[in-house]
Amino acid sequence: MTNDQNHIQDEYFHDENLDKKLMDHDYDGIKELDNPAPAWIMAIFYITIFFSVMYGAYYFWFSQGPTQDQEYLAEVNEYNTKFGQKENNAPEALTILTNEADIAEGMAFYQANCVACHGANGEGGVGSNLTDANWIHGCDIASVAKIVKDGGPNGMMSYKQHGDKKIQQVASYVLTKLKGTNKPGKELQGEACQ
Amino acid sequence: MELQKYYYDNKIVKCFILATIIWGVVGVLVGLIAALQLAWPMFNFDTEFLTFGRVRPVHTNAIIFAFVGNAIFAGVYYSMQKLLKTRMFSDVLSKINFWGWQLIIVAAAVTLLSGISTGKEYAELEWWIDIMIAVVWVVFGWNMIGTMIVRREKHIYAAIWWYVATFIGVAVLHVVNSFELPVTFLKSYSLYAGAQDAVVQWWYGHNAVAFFLTTPFLGLMYYYLPKAAGRPIYSYKLSIIHFWALIFIYMWAGPHHLLYQALPDWAQALGVTFSIMLLAPSWGGMINGLLTLRGAWDRVRDSATLKFMVVAVTAYGMSTFEGPMMSLKNVNMISHFSDWTIAHVHIGGMGWNGGLTFGMLYFMIPRLWKTKLFSEKLANTHFWLATLGMLIYAIPLYWAAITQWLMWREYSPEGYLAYPNFLSTVTQILPMYMFRSLGGLLFLIGFLLMVYNLYKTMAAGTFTNEEEAQAPVLDNSQSRKDARETQHRWIERKPVWFSIAAFIALAIGGAVEIIPMVFVKSNVPTISTVTPYTPLELEGRDIYVSEGCYTCHSQMVRPFRWETDRYGEYSKIGEFVYDHPFQWGSRRTGPDLARTGVVGGPMYKNAAWHYKHFENAQSVSDGTIMPNYPWFAEQTVNTEVTPAKIRAMQTLGVPYPEGYDTKAVADLMAQGQTIADELKQNNIDVVPNAKVVAVIAYLHKLGRDISKKE
Ligand code: HEC
Repeated sequence: MTNDQNHIQDEYFHDENLDKKLMDHDYDGIKELDNPAPAWIMAIFYITIFFSVMYGAYYFWFSQGPTQDQEYLAEVNEYNTKFGQKENNAPEALTILTNEADIAEGMAFYQANCVACHGANGEGGVGSNLTDANWIHGCDIASVAKIVKDGGPNGMMSYKQHGDKKIQQVASYVLTKLKGTNKPGKELQGEACQ
Repeated sequence: MELQKYYYDNKIVKCFILATIIWGVVGVLVGLIAALQLAWPMFNFDTEFLTFGRVRPVHTNAIIFAFVGNAIFAGVYYSMQKLLKTRMFSDVLSKINFWGWQLIIVAAAVTLLSGISTGKEYAELEWWIDIMIAVVWVVFGWNMIGTMIVRREKHIYAAIWWYVATFIGVAVLHVVNSFELPVTFLKSYSLYAGAQDAVVQWWYGHNAVAFFLTTPFLGLMYYYLPKAAGRPIYSYKLSIIHFWALIFIYMWAGPHHLLYQALPDWAQALGVTFSIMLLAPSWGGMINGLLTLRGAWDRVRDSATLKFMVVAVTAYGMSTFEGPMMSLKNVNMISHFSDWTIAHVHIGGMGWNGGLTFGMLYFMIPRLWKTKLFSEKLANTHFWLATLGMLIYAIPLYWAAITQWLMWREYSPEGYLAYPNFLSTVTQILPMYMFRSLGGLLFLIGFLLMVYNLYKTMAAGTFTNEEEAQAPVLDNSQSRKDARETQHRWIERKPVWFSIAAFIALAIGGAVEIIPMVFVKSNVPTISTVTPYTPLELEGRDIYVSEGCYTCHSQMVRPFRWETDRYGEYSKIGEFVYDHPFQWGSRRTGPDLARTGVVGGPMYKNAAWHYKHFENAQSVSDGTIMPNYPWFAEQTVNTEVTPAKIRAMQTLGVPYPEGYDTKAVADLMAQGQTIADELKQNNIDVVPNAKVVAVIAYLHKLGRDISKKE
């Protein structure tokens, strides 16, 4: 120890009541008490061990719990009873919607999801031109709804998750408002279609 | 008894202290930049070196290895000499430890920003840096064990048990996780693939938290807290129990990072149960810390050191309660891939590691410079800024996590995803990202106040490089256990036996999990349609790794209906057998990409879409926070190393035909040409070996094999 005036002396604060169990340990002034580990923390420890053993036993020795794959199947079944099997809702029977509210919805959907590839006015870009007379996958409502729903091999995305109603609206919008406007843009692709 | 005179090496402590402070500022600043990038993507600056995918690993590595790492060394070198009443074993080793570590940090910063990365979280550094780390770490351990051997204190105090466990734990983890096959100086492939790589990596990742952020800090707590409070350790018995329980159990808990993922159920169950059992041993540390303050609470009020320590220990208690809860599968389903985990680690990082480091610095510096702290008031302001910063950082992220999770899984009344557009779940939480940046800013301001305060303190004091001290010679001649001695008291004076015992306790958990995953074939069922990557796809994958796309994108569809609806079929173990390294990711800031190549699937985008998205993400996804990668179109893949990569993959067991390395480049160019032709149709001109072409080829491979009929 130096005699330096400013040197900070580490103090040990003794406490009569708390330090009854002081041990003879002293490490650089650090002392230790002979207290037991608190009972409640030991209880938590034993409970978690018990939980773990039971967890293992439940899932593996007695094979009670579902595996990850079984859990998924259960979830799918639950979904199917609640909503029906979506995959079977074929869009063939669709008709073009003409009322204004549906067309407006379709247009909003188009603005939000389609312009990046098909352009603000349907003139095409990454995706094909929706205003000309040539269509790659057909130009009836069922064909358009199907390609919107399932996507296609040239890079058309699938919008299945947006639901059949939205798909019918946007397909109706495309066929009634964009098709035939003949905007200059992407060149003709696919076959002529009326 | 005769007193021996010796000198403490204060200079090495000073070096580590300065490094802690400097790297700490850097680490927090880089963290703030990363936070800003997520709130406002313009902070990516459209330059290659500063995109989020590169900045984030710099932040995590800087905080963990540079800031916390140097803090550990500073704290250990200071306390160890005093606790063992001796100088460090070797000045040369101390110096190698210091300069070697700083060299590693600089190498890490430069390589990561240059996109040189192995793509394994918290182990991103390339092979030669890994070797440097191993060497320097062994030097540290050698110096430490040497110091124990030349000590003048008969028994080894609890703090040092933790230091020993730290040395052994990190050495084992680092070596096992870093097995990689170098291709060039700047590129290597993990020896493990897919699910095996994932198990090893998260065994490492989880235990890096354990043995780099927890055990050394518990050791530091056992020294600095009773010293600063002037009170005895509450329970020596608890010290023993929670030490051995913690180091034994921790090593098993890694798979809790892989719940509901492509991992056998048995491994997941080990992750769950051992994490639950970690609760009490972890809390043992908190209890011993807080109860040591009995009789000292009145002093906590006026000491910034003690206040920081209280917050540290409390944050530790919170994180170690939260951790086991997050390991329950039904909670993990929410916390994993969301911002919950980010909030969780920042309570640990800012509160526990930050708090204890700050407390320790405010304790050591006045003592080393033999003067009073320049301003206790400033330290108090720092305390409030740090605590508030932590809360303003974490609370919005918990909010964001729950919000986003609810949006991901919500169905409309007709049974469709309510938010089929992933981006809308991102823009929803952007305000939370802004708040979190504010939290980070407050934390940084507090940190800078500390720098100023400590600088003024140092300037006012006088530093002695060599501090004289005296202690009696140690008589440890009796080797065998004394009848009055407990077993543990005996091993406390046998440092080598102690280290061996700690090694055994540590090694069991890792061995039980990793050995069966790597060597038992039935754990990785194969899928016949899964083929190796073509040379172009492989190059694209290497770009994906190098850019750190995994910091924002997962490649792991979990078996939940709301994930399979959004992305496609859930991921299977057998899909990943050629993935060196695996790229499952841990946070879904952007959508999962595992099914991006499934034509007609909900994730498929054509080449032109990807091209535009990389060129300017905002132009196709309005409001996105994905950085732009305009240089992908300009830069080309270095095809000179492609054959070497193919040979390396063959060495790792990927079944390319013999001699394929000679044909690889031609195949690469041919495949690139088809993509370039496709882009040409959209009036986009690129060369067939442009980086963007390789990345697109890779993205179109993702999930394609499994969608083929067997
Ligand atoms: C800062 C986080 C971030 C980083 C880093 C990042 N992304 Fe993204 N990514 C996003 C977000 C958010 C989206 C969703 C919105 C959008 O389309 O931009 C996204 C979307 C995507 C998509 C479209 C997915 C789809 O089908 O909707 C692809 C492909 C993609 N990213 C690839 C990459 C690649 C490759 C890299 C690395 C070069 C990368 N990302 C880096 C955040 C990120």
